[in-house]
Amino acid sequence: MIELHALNRAEAVRYLGDASVEMNASMEALLDECEKEVLANAEPKYLTRVIDLPCPQLEEGNDIREHLKGCDKALLMCCTLGNGVDRMLRRAQVTDMAKAVVLDVLASVAVEQACNQVDHIVQELYPERYFTFRFSPGYGDFPLELQNWFLTELNAPKRIGLTTSASLLLTPTKSVTAVAGMSREPIAKKHRGCETCNAREHCPFRKVGTHCGGS
Amino acid sequence: MADLNTLLQENEFVLLDGAMGTLIQKSGAKYDHVPETLNITEPDLIGSFAAAYADAGSQIVYANTFGANAYKLQGTGYTVQDIVPAAIAAAKKGVAGRDVLVALDIGPIGQLVEPAGALSFEDAYDYFKEMVLAADGADAIVIETMTDLYEMRAAVLAAKENSTLPVLATMTFEASGRTFSGVSAAAAALTLSALGVDALGVNCSLGPDQLGPVVKELSEYTDLPVIVKPNAGLPDPNTSEYDIGPEDFAGYVENLLPYGVKIIGGCCGTTPEYIAKVREMLQDKKYTPLPKVTKTAVCSASTVVEIDGPRIVGERINPTGKKRFQQALRDGEIDYILNQAISQTEAGAEILDVNVGLPGLDERAMMVRVLKAIQGICDAPLQIDSTKPEVLEAALRVYNGRPIVNSVNGEEKSLSTVLPLVKKYGAAVIGLTLDEDGIPKTAEKRMEIARRIVERAEAIGIPREDVYIDCLTLTVSAEQGACRETLEAVRRVTEELGCRTALGVSNISFGLPNRELINRTFLTMAMENGLKLPIINPNVESMAGAVRAYRVLSGIDENSLDYIDEYKDYVPPKTVPGGGGGGAPAPKAAETQQGSASPGKNDPVFTAVVKGLKNEGAAAVREQLKTTDPMEIINGKLIPALDQVGADFEVHKIFLPQLIQSANAAQECFGVLKEYIAKNGAPSVSKGKVILATVQGDIHDIGKNIVKVLLDNYGYSVIDLGRDVDPKLIVDTAVEQNVHAVGLSALMTTTLGSMEKTIHLLRDEPKLQNPDGSSNVTVMVGGAVVTQDYADKIGAEYYCVDAKATVDACKTIFGQ
Repeated sequence: MIELHALNRAEAVRYLGDASVEMNASMEALLDECEKEVLANAEPKYLTRVIDLPCPQLEEGNDIREHLKGCDKALLMCCTLGNGVDRMLRRAQVTDMAKAVVLDVLASVAVEQACNQVDHIVQELYPERYFTFRFSPGYGDFPLELQNWFLTELNAPKRIGLTTSASLLLTPTKSVTAVAGMSREPIAKKHRGCETCNAREHCPFRKVGTHCGGS
Repeated sequence: MADLNTLLQENEFVLLDGAMGTLIQKSGAKYDHVPETLNITEPDLIGSFAAAYADAGSQIVYANTFGANAYKLQGTGYTVQDIVPAAIAAAKKGVAGRDVLVALDIGPIGQLVEPAGALSFEDAYDYFKEMVLAADGADAIVIETMTDLYEMRAAVLAAKENSTLPVLATMTFEASGRTFSGVSAAAAALTLSALGVDALGVNCSLGPDQLGPVVKELSEYTDLPVIVKPNAGLPDPNTSEYDIGPEDFAGYVENLLPYGVKIIGGCCGTTPEYIAKVREMLQDKKYTPLPKVTKTAVCSASTVVEIDGPRIVGERINPTGKKRFQQALRDGEIDYILNQAISQTEAGAEILDVNVGLPGLDERAMMVRVLKAIQGICDAPLQIDSTKPEVLEAALRVYNGRPIVNSVNGEEKSLSTVLPLVKKYGAAVIGLTLDEDGIPKTAEKRMEIARRIVERAEAIGIPREDVYIDCLTLTVSAEQGACRETLEAVRRVTEELGCRTALGVSNISFGLPNRELINRTFLTMAMENGLKLPIINPNVESMAGAVRAYRVLSGIDENSLDYIDEYKDYVPPKTVPGGGGGGAPAPKAAETQQGSASPGKNDPVFTAVVKGLKNEGAAAVREQLKTTDPMEIINGKLIPALDQVGADFEVHKIFLPQLIQSANAAQECFGVLKEYIAKNGAPSVSKGKVILATVQGDIHDIGKNIVKVLLDNYGYSVIDLGRDVDPKLIVDTAVEQNVHAVGLSALMTTTLGSMEKTIHLLRDEPKLQNPDGSSNVTVMVGGAVVTQDYADKIGAEYYCVDAKATVDACKTIFGQ
């Protein structure tokens, strides 16, 4: 079970404000209200599976091969906040767009936090292993088309109601699929760098010389 | 050969099979893409599974067709017409010589249906229809493992409209008692019973040890046989082994029998051994149906409303006599209607009446669009309000749950067209006590019509509990005695016919001062006479309040819990002389966001917009309209305020939500101005028309919606075509409405192609070209994955990095 109690406020603020806006009381109040709502509507669910490498699907593209270098197993995972969050977002987009933007950002933060918890749960089961950070279909040249392979391997549609649309968008939308490499040897610290990020061309953080919170 | 009905009648219990997937996995059989291809490559193996289940005691086996829909079969090289008949033949061969039925097994399509996903209800129906039509030789149709009631409804309709086979419908519930998409067991039972399935229940989900509460709830809301087909407990994530063995499985199933279970099988992890154990356990057991606890109820996918006391029906979604609402319908401004839905439910409406009839408008298309939109954001059950059978039918098809039809009346034409629709889709219906001769004056005559409606309903299988009689409210100032007759009719229908009653309340007070007082008093009198469905404006506090108070005083609201919950923080409204606030709570004063010098800095309209204060902005505009020209307010105050906020946003002085709050405040101000201008016949304030759409395949539309709010508030008329929009619809709308600016948004790299395609179609449309053949449409593009380079490549005139940039682009395009 994963439970979300508080959301990473600093991360949300970075997404909301191009990194340099000063916080003020009305934004704080809006964030408080929205955090409560996200926590009330999120029903985080996840699935994991450890597979042996090599695996042909995990060799599609230079970036994933580089990422899993030196690993003999891989952790497949998926995680979703569920349909309730999407419904909350649809509703807010009708009644209060400002709130909708904050809810959307906080929900993104929430699913990221849920994934971090999944990482911890699995890492405790494999204390002798070293893990890479999570790598998702669509990062760099790792094909987005593999979304469905992940979901099938994890039996995600049936077990947690996570599917893709015909255009490979995960539904419910606040969801993640990812793979982390597992090794018996320490792994050189890799950064989830801008070079594999699809947002690099127009990223608001890069524009002002910083980067987003991924570590 | 037996059929399902015989099986149900001749046996205490009917045994289904166990898992197909588990046996395939254990056999080690290899397949490409989907296990349904084994029907063709290994038919004997598939047949041997059916045989094994028949040996174990299964009376119905499921053909290996769970995922045999055209969506999941993509890339396999096989069609539905290849796989489904082969699967049925394989199972039939396996059980040959035995009295075992073979069912077409239908599982979820594999992508979510609208509004959660991008697949339309109509397309979902077509996928299922294709399977049903291919199921030659099957003895029953099973629809299982559904988590979305909407998808389930599409499958049930496809089964019932394209085949005469019995239908078994099971959904997958979580420990919370709901499915992934929030469907409650009660709503599933009500909706599926009403649609006319032959048995319903639960499959997959959890182990049988955890299903008690769900099965009990299902039983309490249906008269049909209940199905359980649970997993063998929970799977181990890495080995996929399930944790409940055959013996324990049968024991847990035994515990479920008191909840009215009649049809039993196993899902993931179960094998013939499990079925054999269940069969053994059942040998000396008797079927004990649970009595249905509810008399009559309606529901959305998530919320059941029993009509057991007065329930507030919100009347506000109706264009009659409302200029602003009519305008919203003509402009396709669905958000306006959605806000009406939300504000009514927040004020206490438990059911919402939906009427979108307006001369010159395609009511059928609009009803479908509005219903789909409302049920995407609102949990209250809906009441479909139209006089046209074709509108009712279209609405009943796409409604997700069990609605009320408003209405049928005593006229032959109405009885013979509306009641069959009510029956087919399993709705409840309001019966108006009027006929060819109009509204009778006396209670006695209205009773006669009510009786006729009830008889006709019962004759085609609609129980009288589901007919809600509207005894009709007449205007008391025109005909004083009529009020007594209406109340008398309400009482008699309740007592003598055993039907619930509905009444539109506010007609009573036409022509009198202080209408609210008359309405409220009449409402109270009617409830005392038995009224169950007052159709009122819940936003008038005294009306909703009268219903809440009545529930306390008549003992329905036990220990006054609901009442106390509603009014625990109640503060009597202060009467401010001359105040126009209407008792609305004063908004919290927001922080001043910035203090840049500006000509309008001390102007209340300007300040309210900059600070993002809606109510204060609107009040200030109202005040200034007494002395100031509306265009002066727009150009001298609203636009400069928005410009300042926009500039602050660009230099990172404020957050995006604050920019939007200011835009919303401006929208409120524009609303007041539009109303004023409409009343005074002044020219339109629109600066130009813009089409906005999130491109085909893309359903993440928050970016587009932000742009819409900003453009609206800068005075542009936005035609919002929504998300996942067909390129052709964009072109057609541009032609029909003579629009020359189009904004397209895409979030996914996979949908960028749709953006390009849309632009090509726009350029190729002769009606959108100048005499020299060049295009006269300006295209703006934006969204997470769009870049300036890409915009150039696909021939868009403007790349808009954010919503503010779109406003700037429009300023250039329209020159203002």
